[in-house]
Amino acid sequence: MSEVDSLVNKIMSQLKDENSSASSSTSTSTPTNSDSELGRNDYPLFEKHPDKVKSPTGKSLHDITLDNVVDGTVGPKDLRITPDTLRMQGQIAASAGRVAIQKNFQRAAELTQIPDDRLLQLYNALRPYRSSKQELLDMSSELRDKYNAPVCANWFAEAAENYEKNKKLKGDN
Amino acid sequence: MSQEIDETLLRSIIKDVIGEMKNTDTPISFNDSGNSAATATQAAPSSSQTSDIKPVDWFKHVGVAKPGLSKDEVVIAVAPAFAEVLTRTMTKLPHKDVLRQVIAGIEEEGLKARVVKVYRTSDVSFCSVDADQLSGSGISVAIQSKGTAIIHQKDQEPLSNLELFPQAPVLTLDTYRAIGKNAAQYAKGMSPNPVPTVNDQMARVQYQALSALMHIQETKQVVPGKPSDEIQVSFN
Amino acid sequence: MKRQKRFEKLEKRPVHLDGFVKEWDDEGLVALEGKNDPKPSIKLENGEITELDGKKKEDFDLIDKYIAEYGLNLDNAEMAMNTDSLKIAHMLVDPNVSRSEIIKYTTAITPAKAEEVISKLNFGEMIVAVQKMRPRRTPATQCHITNTLDNPVEIAADAAEAALRGFPEQETTTAIARYAPMNAISIMVGSQTGRPGVITQCSVEESEELSLGMRGFTAYAETISVYGTDRVFTDGDDTPWSKGFLASCYASRGLKMRFTSGAGSEVMMGYTEGKSMLYLEARCIFITKASGVQGLQNGGVSCIGIPGAVPGGIREVLGENLMCMMMDIECASGCDQAFSHSDIRRTERMIGQFIAGTDYISSGYAAEENRDNTFAGSNMDVLDYDDYCAMERDLAVNGGILPIHEEDAIKIRNKAAKAIQAVFDGLGLPAITDEEVEAATYASNSDDMPKRDMVQDMKAAQDLMDRGITVSDIIKALHDHGFNDVAQAVLALAQQKVCGDYLQTSAIFDKNWHCISAIDNPNDYQGPGTGYRLWEDKDTWDKIKDIPWAMDPQHMDF
Repeated sequence: MSEVDSLVNKIMSQLKDENSSASSSTSTSTPTNSDSELGRNDYPLFEKHPDKVKSPTGKSLHDITLDNVVDGTVGPKDLRITPDTLRMQGQIAASAGRVAIQKNFQRAAELTQIPDDRLLQLYNALRPYRSSKQELLDMSSELRDKYNAPVCANWFAEAAENYEKNKKLKGDN
Repeated sequence: MSQEIDETLLRSIIKDVIGEMKNTDTPISFNDSGNSAATATQAAPSSSQTSDIKPVDWFKHVGVAKPGLSKDEVVIAVAPAFAEVLTRTMTKLPHKDVLRQVIAGIEEEGLKARVVKVYRTSDVSFCSVDADQLSGSGISVAIQSKGTAIIHQKDQEPLSNLELFPQAPVLTLDTYRAIGKNAAQYAKGMSPNPVPTVNDQMARVQYQALSALMHIQETKQVVPGKPSDEIQVSFN
Repeated sequence: MKRQKRFEKLEKRPVHLDGFVKEWDDEGLVALEGKNDPKPSIKLENGEITELDGKKKEDFDLIDKYIAEYGLNLDNAEMAMNTDSLKIAHMLVDPNVSRSEIIKYTTAITPAKAEEVISKLNFGEMIVAVQKMRPRRTPATQCHITNTLDNPVEIAADAAEAALRGFPEQETTTAIARYAPMNAISIMVGSQTGRPGVITQCSVEESEELSLGMRGFTAYAETISVYGTDRVFTDGDDTPWSKGFLASCYASRGLKMRFTSGAGSEVMMGYTEGKSMLYLEARCIFITKASGVQGLQNGGVSCIGIPGAVPGGIREVLGENLMCMMMDIECASGCDQAFSHSDIRRTERMIGQFIAGTDYISSGYAAEENRDNTFAGSNMDVLDYDDYCAMERDLAVNGGILPIHEEDAIKIRNKAAKAIQAVFDGLGLPAITDEEVEAATYASNSDDMPKRDMVQDMKAAQDLMDRGITVSDIIKALHDHGFNDVAQAVLALAQQKVCGDYLQTSAIFDKNWHCISAIDNPNDYQGPGTGYRLWEDKDTWDKIKDIPWAMDPQHMDF
């Protein structure tokens, strides 16, 4: 009995999360075209450019105060990094010679739009023997079309190809 | 309510069985020594050494293991070298005694124990995952030849666990019995106190090299793609 | 045989309890330069790698593919691969060649070439090279905070004391996996009480760990394991693509992370493909680089008994730390697992990293008694604190741990225990009694703690996940119970996750949440007079000098 209850609860909370983050993600897409590339002298952003850093809901860093958290003005949704901030940190990493980190942050910037539960599912689906080739390709399309995440979409497509050749698809074990 | 669960369970079992059958189009008989060429075709890493296997009469293979339907069973998975290539744990506990104790622990709780031997992996977590898929209760215990043990539940990620006993050197026969008992309690839907274990930070230092050497023996017995065997044990 | 009396005595020494084995190349029981290790090679066609270390593209396994696709800077590959390995080894040791000059070469070579470079160096040269190659100028260290009962009050108190002692990063894990959320909360609250700016993690199963981070219970992750052979990678339940994706998942939530690897894991898991430990570790380091992950924990780590058992193994371990640094990756350099029964060998284990200084000399100094260490014991523990501080003071080395006074420890442990008591009350978790607070204040190990109802605690841990508790609730609970300063510190941490500064290489925070990383604190060592020198870091040197048990010769009372 309790098994069923917890299952139902889990599914319901998943649906709820998906809805809430879907609505928040639509309201966030206001890219603040940062004019110039940042470099290592712009670091740390917290001290050098606090004005450039916004929460996903558009709040500034100095809005994130104890009072605002306590009275609920600032909630968990505000305590997240945005694609823009990840892009700025990527520029800083690249300017220090670490291009691979910038690429990681590019993928990460795309993933900020994906709800927690879905993101965990996507990760688990990439683990060995979890998915068929078609399932991986479907997730690739989902990333491209639903979440506007072309780099990550390519990542899944690449995995699908390689898992097929190197026998890491569902049933290969 | 509970009937609904059984229905989905049944459906997933049926799916599993169908999947299992697909996988075993060309069953590999491991007992038949004349057939050892067939194991080699499975692209087994390095050297699956059939010659190392010394069958013992208390540990009988009775065909490919099937998913169980009864909720009152716990499946015990043993790793590929268990009992037939290696016979004792790292601290020289006979495998027969270890298994006897785990089974006794399960039976003490009024549940049934079923033993399978896993071939696809020597990793204790993945052994337990193979077994919890077979277990009617969804609870499994896995034991490596060196003695490392785990209690696992069907819906958990492979590398998560209900209880993990990573330090084989500190496990005694009493611990194995307690592991069986706790596994059975999980299967009954209870929340037992975890089995108390000693934390001996020097055990690893003393045994790590030995542990590696035993595990090398274990992994030599891995046969990719080979489904688990059902094992009949007799302790007389 | 009639026993020789001296040999009989020698046999009773603790070192004889350690495991030693002879080399066995075909099973990977060889530190470096194994007989089956490939020769370095690379072939490029149209900007694509078609041969890597003697293997043709069509024979690539997933690891080869991943490294070929993402792991090398191809612009410099030809130049670097054509440079004699001995010359690159020279550059590593030569104080006149800057770190950034070397990076141009080392990030454009193949794994087998990297192994060849490291194999040219002796232990002393490795120390010199590590001093120059670690990314962050200021060295630091990291600790474990655990106990065998997963007692949350003790975790909080130990975390607070460790924070006061100077650990900028703290790591917990569980004795029982289901405790994870509770341990994560306890270490975070405890450490922020001890010293704002500490970041904490909870090492559990990969996807579970990420979900703890998503809720704001942790600030970073480290035990994201990668392995040097395809089969072991699979047994670790991942592929390079899933691990690379996981890395991006962490960054997308503003969480710092590093990978973990280390000599011996492939031996322990039974699939070495007959390659040496250093070659396999090179592949792990290149996977890390390819993933764009800022850091790596390596140096034997949990399998230290394997390199520790073979000839030259501890040289290999420092060598793999150095290889990580020369790939421009943050290095948490091991020294985090029980290694030897011999105190002399325990010192040997960490001496190279300790003298040279690394980003985290130990990636898990036991900040509890080793018997309570659920990472299965560390190389050094709380009972070694005073020896360690004496070594820092003797050698004028910043090993990352400060001596503290007993009354300060009591005060901070008490405050942390009360803070976690408040959080448990605020979140509706099983109550922490005043008796437990008192016990944790004065405890040294979990035997000193009253027993809790573990079944209730585990249920509550699951329940708090089901209820969707996040860091905001913790901040509120702290605030509502009058712990405004701790609430503020936990909030500041959440704020930093929005800002992302600490996602950069080798980042830690000071007590004012100023981020110190390889970006704004890059290692500039180029011989005497340059780089980090403890006596020039006056504040820290004063603290290290001030061991409470030193006599004051000018104020003696005879």
